[in-house]
Amino acid sequence: MTDTNTRQEMVLGNEAIALGLVEQGCRVATAYPGTPSSEILAGVVKYKKQLARQVYTEWSVNEKVAFEVALAASWAGLRAAVALKQVGLNVASDPLFSAAYIGVKGGFVIIPADDPGPHSSQTEQDSRLMALTAKVPVFDPATPAEARAMIENAFILSERYEVPVILRPTTRLCHAVQSLPMEVTPAPDGEIPSVKFNKNPTRWAATPKFRYKLHVELNKKLADIEAEFNQSPLNYVVEPIQNPKPVLSGAQRAQVEGSKIQNQVGVIASGVAFNTAKQSLLELDAQIPILKIGTPYPLPQKLVGEFIARFETVVVLEEPDTCIELQLPERSRIRGRLDGTVPTAGELSPEVVSTLLAEVLTGAGYKVNPSLDDVELQTLVNSLPLPIRKPRLCPGCSHRSAFYSLKKEFGLSAIYPGDIGCYTLGSNLRAVDTVVDMGAAVTMANGFYQANRLVGDSRPIVSTIGDSTFLHSGIVPLINAVHTGARFVLIILDNHTTAMTGHQPTPANNYLADGSEATRVASIPNMVRACGVNFVKQTDPYNQETFQEILRDAYNHSQAEDGGVAVIIADRPCVLYDPSSVRDDPLPVVITEECDGCRYCVEAFECPALVLRPDKTRVDIDYKICVNCGQCIDACHKGFIIPEAIANEIPQTVASEATL
Amino acid sequence: MTELKVILAGLGGQGVVFFTRLLSQTAMELGHSVMVSETHGMSQRGGSVISHLKIGGSEAPLVRRGTADILLAMEPDEAVRNLPFLRPGGTIFVNSENGLRPEVAEHLERLEIQVHSLPASQMAMELGVAAIANVILTGFAVAYPALPLPIETLRETVKAIAPRGRELNLQALEIGFQAGRSTNDE
Repeated sequence: MTDTNTRQEMVLGNEAIALGLVEQGCRVATAYPGTPSSEILAGVVKYKKQLARQVYTEWSVNEKVAFEVALAASWAGLRAAVALKQVGLNVASDPLFSAAYIGVKGGFVIIPADDPGPHSSQTEQDSRLMALTAKVPVFDPATPAEARAMIENAFILSERYEVPVILRPTTRLCHAVQSLPMEVTPAPDGEIPSVKFNKNPTRWAATPKFRYKLHVELNKKLADIEAEFNQSPLNYVVEPIQNPKPVLSGAQRAQVEGSKIQNQVGVIASGVAFNTAKQSLLELDAQIPILKIGTPYPLPQKLVGEFIARFETVVVLEEPDTCIELQLPERSRIRGRLDGTVPTAGELSPEVVSTLLAEVLTGAGYKVNPSLDDVELQTLVNSLPLPIRKPRLCPGCSHRSAFYSLKKEFGLSAIYPGDIGCYTLGSNLRAVDTVVDMGAAVTMANGFYQANRLVGDSRPIVSTIGDSTFLHSGIVPLINAVHTGARFVLIILDNHTTAMTGHQPTPANNYLADGSEATRVASIPNMVRACGVNFVKQTDPYNQETFQEILRDAYNHSQAEDGGVAVIIADRPCVLYDPSSVRDDPLPVVITEECDGCRYCVEAFECPALVLRPDKTRVDIDYKICVNCGQCIDACHKGFIIPEAIANEIPQTVASEATL
Repeated sequence: MTELKVILAGLGGQGVVFFTRLLSQTAMELGHSVMVSETHGMSQRGGSVISHLKIGGSEAPLVRRGTADILLAMEPDEAVRNLPFLRPGGTIFVNSENGLRPEVAEHLERLEIQVHSLPASQMAMELGVAAIANVILTGFAVAYPALPLPIETLRETVKAIAPRGRELNLQALEIGFQAGRSTNDE
């Protein structure tokens, strides 16, 4: 089946983007991990090795850093890209706005992955709206194949107009896997181009007076880009013919328009919603034209206006918010999020899209297929007591041990500011009370301390933050907290990696994005001391007793006259990242027959390997997933969870007693 | 083959992503266009995991409820949870010792949905590797005409994408396939 010319491979959406970057001669690619964007940089590393291309790849310490490192490479004349999740673009928004005015030299592509749903994010924000505010053109791919192809369009546009551009995928594209042909498009230049940074302070270091000129220039560029987008093959009408063949050239498009087909309803769609709409219309058996928009900002107004003019009603489908719809100068025929036809939150799933299209079409007098939902079955399934599978910390996760000790020492009344990472799941253990954004564990503790001082609230404040998150956004807040005299306990849950997003290295690791050695490794304890913290203790949370004693000392320091912020570094590698420490020193446990199913361990310790029997008579250990960490021994007040070694001795003792 | 839509479901850690790759890669090797939607991120930490697989059809990543031809589930409650994805006349392959909850039986009959269950986890434990139940279930499913992927191509895929423990994976595939063949013939 494998033809050498059209060899196919299954490629993850994020890797398709990476492949596009490498084959189009991207020379500097930077990123900070965040679902759903994390596999983009890993993909660049994979393909640069596979295709033997020279690309500098970097897991940066945060998104602002990633953005600026790539931006400088572009100013030096190289093609560059930065990949991040949508909330990461918030972190990098400062340089985004400025870079739009100043512009770029080498093609510069910003890739913020949006998360309609949201599946793994704080918000459902739309990066296209960020682009609209910052005045940065956007490409909005619908499939992995299109995302890969659009990288070329993005680099060319960026270089032609000297503007940064955004290529905006969403979760369902990032995590789609599509069969793609693998013949590689040759890079524009197989060699590193001979470019260099040309000094020009009026532009690169523009003062406000020149910024005004740059703004005027940017507006001019956007007008030209809009004109170009009106002709772009990335924006096209799919007419409802038997075998829908898209791609109408300008001339064909004029022909279709000239024929004045009178239709009641048309659809405008971009991103993943385009194919969902196509599929829904097929399932509904509705012959409806779709205008596919690949470049939602600046919106090709002429093309869109002409399409809208053909219909009584036009439905706009885009995610996660309203970028196309907002740019329409006249919305009397438009059905979208602004008039409530399209839900204003949540993902545009096939069910949501087909339901709303059926409603609009039926209202316009079309006859469509009935809904494919079997309501009876759905109602039954909804009514069944199926187990609720919420995400939980993995068996053996050292965060669980830390949270458990924390609760034992400070109880449930303490205030527990948390942060972004696996350990956000500490909320299941009732040891995370607030989650705002990266680094907020430190700032929220600072603020709670000041507020509590004013109102006379003396509850302990105990924050948790991961190692990668601390390096990303925790250091500056810590300097602030120490300097302003805040008093709280900060626990840095150091599992030696960025665990949640797939184990990307941090500056505290001794290796870099492409696996090469890092010659300088950041020391978290030294950094904490340098912030002015006088209480810094590093300890293994698996030693629960010692950990609890240190928690007590830390709290006492935070309350002492000459005390302040106390920092504990809970030091143990992620059990998935480095299983050796548990594997080499196992402590298998059993639950004795006396277990009465009181559920304390299941709720307070919440290890997935502790399973309450359906009849609730006792708890069993699921040895298929148990990693033999032995951390749950202390999670039974009654002493029914015991080391296997001891359990093996008991029957003998009992037996010998019986013979006496 | 006209368009084939498959839902693959299970829990984080049960290898749903791997057996999705097994089927999708096999379909691709047979020359079909393939589109898959995977679950990543926080759900992988013990939550429900679901993949949507489309062979030879639409480029939309998700399968609409009521349209899937096949549901492959690594766990009976996850099979029930995802039942509404199946079309009338669809087929379920489930890793279970005793089929599905009795409450759904009446609806399965009404919708003419076939259920084929196999104690794949138990069989995997007998092989000494709990994690290989997904490969056993895959072999089981392709023994039925509902999932028309030839076992020979699947074997090649296993060799290609499971370089570690290749023999064990092939053995698991075979065990599942034979179990499917025998129940299929009955």
